[in-house]
Amino acid sequence: MIRFENVTKVYEQNARPALDSVSLEINRGEFTFLVGASGSGKSTFLRLILKEDKASSGSVYVAGQNVANISSWRVPKLRRGIGVVFQDFRLLPQKNVFANVAFAMQVIGKSRSIIRETVPEVLKTVGLEGKERRMPHELSGGEQQRVAIARAVVNRPGILLADEPTGNLDPITSMGIMGVLDKINQNGTTVVMATHDDDIVNEMRRRVVELKNGKVIRDEAKALYTSMIPVVGESRRLRDASGEELNRAQGAQL
Amino acid sequence: MRLLFILGEIGSGLRRNLSMVISVVLVTFVSLTFVGAAGMLQMQINQMKGFWYDKVQVAVFLCNDGSTAVGCASGSATKEQQANLQAMLESPAVKPYINDFQFESQAEAYKHFKEQFSNSPIVDSVSEDQLPASFRINMKNPEKYEIISETFSSQPGVETVSDQRQVLERIFSWMNGASVAAIGVAAVMIFCAVLLITTTIRLSAFSRRRETGIMRLVGASKMVIQLPFILEGVIAAVVGALLASVTLWLMAHFWLNGDLSRQFLNTPFISSTQVLVIAPVLIALGAGLAGISSLLTLRRYLKV
Repeated sequence: MIRFENVTKVYEQNARPALDSVSLEINRGEFTFLVGASGSGKSTFLRLILKEDKASSGSVYVAGQNVANISSWRVPKLRRGIGVVFQDFRLLPQKNVFANVAFAMQVIGKSRSIIRETVPEVLKTVGLEGKERRMPHELSGGEQQRVAIARAVVNRPGILLADEPTGNLDPITSMGIMGVLDKINQNGTTVVMATHDDDIVNEMRRRVVELKNGKVIRDEAKALYTSMIPVVGESRRLRDASGEELNRAQGAQL
Repeated sequence: MRLLFILGEIGSGLRRNLSMVISVVLVTFVSLTFVGAAGMLQMQINQMKGFWYDKVQVAVFLCNDGSTAVGCASGSATKEQQANLQAMLESPAVKPYINDFQFESQAEAYKHFKEQFSNSPIVDSVSEDQLPASFRINMKNPEKYEIISETFSSQPGVETVSDQRQVLERIFSWMNGASVAAIGVAAVMIFCAVLLITTTIRLSAFSRRRETGIMRLVGASKMVIQLPFILEGVIAAVVGALLASVTLWLMAHFWLNGDLSRQFLNTPFISSTQVLVIAPVLIALGAGLAGISSLLTLRRYLKV
């Protein structure tokens, strides 16, 4: 479904590449965690799939198509096959739940009757039945993220990309969101989730791809957040690192 | 569905940016009014040229009792002087330059005068013998006026030789100047309008970046994302153009065909229906300018 062949992405000349000859294949229907410190290249990985950025070298294939060969006017078609969820939800504050989800169908020209039929179904899938008329500010963070997920999958994309979808949520709410993503994955959607949340990764036991300085340093099936092979010096690096990483280190079972 | 959606987006965009949209409307209104006024002046000049150039004549006025010119020292022009002038007009020296000529007697001059100023009280204060008799000459080539002027102005019994065309030329050159000035003002205003449209579209794109970001992600086409912004600018400009057209029409209807045509009875003014020819041009111009400037702005400020 997604294939990277020796992909390198350099944002600034002379700087360290954001991705450094990454080769990776994610199969149809797979659930993959993308883990690694901030700046390790997770977001760049996702942006390349969406053709938001162009790879400096190497090829990115999405659904069998080299994205470099997709002309700019056909990029929207590529993106219709990919749903995206973010840490900050990105809902439209002046539209209610129904309208937020319907928006994704309206802008690609779906008919009113199909929208009226599909949106409630999707809202049910994400566990928001009966909240169609609520405004985003009346919802909890978890509920808002469910709306965002509903919007991402309402056009039935083959791929769902999630960039730290639980980053703003507490552990219990996060688990609920993971349940939703799992359900979507079971329906056949390929899910790629970039995350810092070790509890979730450890709980789910899915494929884990770990990036560090733009390189894949680990690719394990049914894996944990941290490698089961201890790395000497790794725990000290975490303690010395930034506050965000310290918090994560405290949560991790060191 | 998509059309309804785009219309809804345009509506919300216009409402959100109302003050900017109003300023775009006003600036395009003023600039296109000047463009239209220049166009109307040119139409008026053409109309007057067409009307007058066939009719303009070189007039050789004969002396009457009240004349003070040098050639009129002996008082009113005599029959002999008149016959002499007529013979000169028919002589081979002058004949090749003129098409034909008529003699207008004092009685005829008085009749024409009464027709021209039929609405004016001046008719009552003028009597037949105050008006000069004249030879009305239609030139083959009006540029050769000098020849007639030189030949006749020093003849006894001739008060003056006047070329009506010269008077008209002065009016036309004044009108041409006015239309150039109007175009100049219009150019400056159009420049303002373009800058203002650019800024408005930029603001609009910025205030809706969340929506456009989501539209991009879910795969909305470039057209669906950009069209509402472009149409926003175009609609504002077209409203301005319509206001300008209405203003010009009102000007033609109530001023040119009202007050002015009452004051200048035998001047052919353009009719208010002729102004309707200018309106589509103004609308197309406004829409085109707004469309192009919004498109260029979006290319820079709205990533698709």
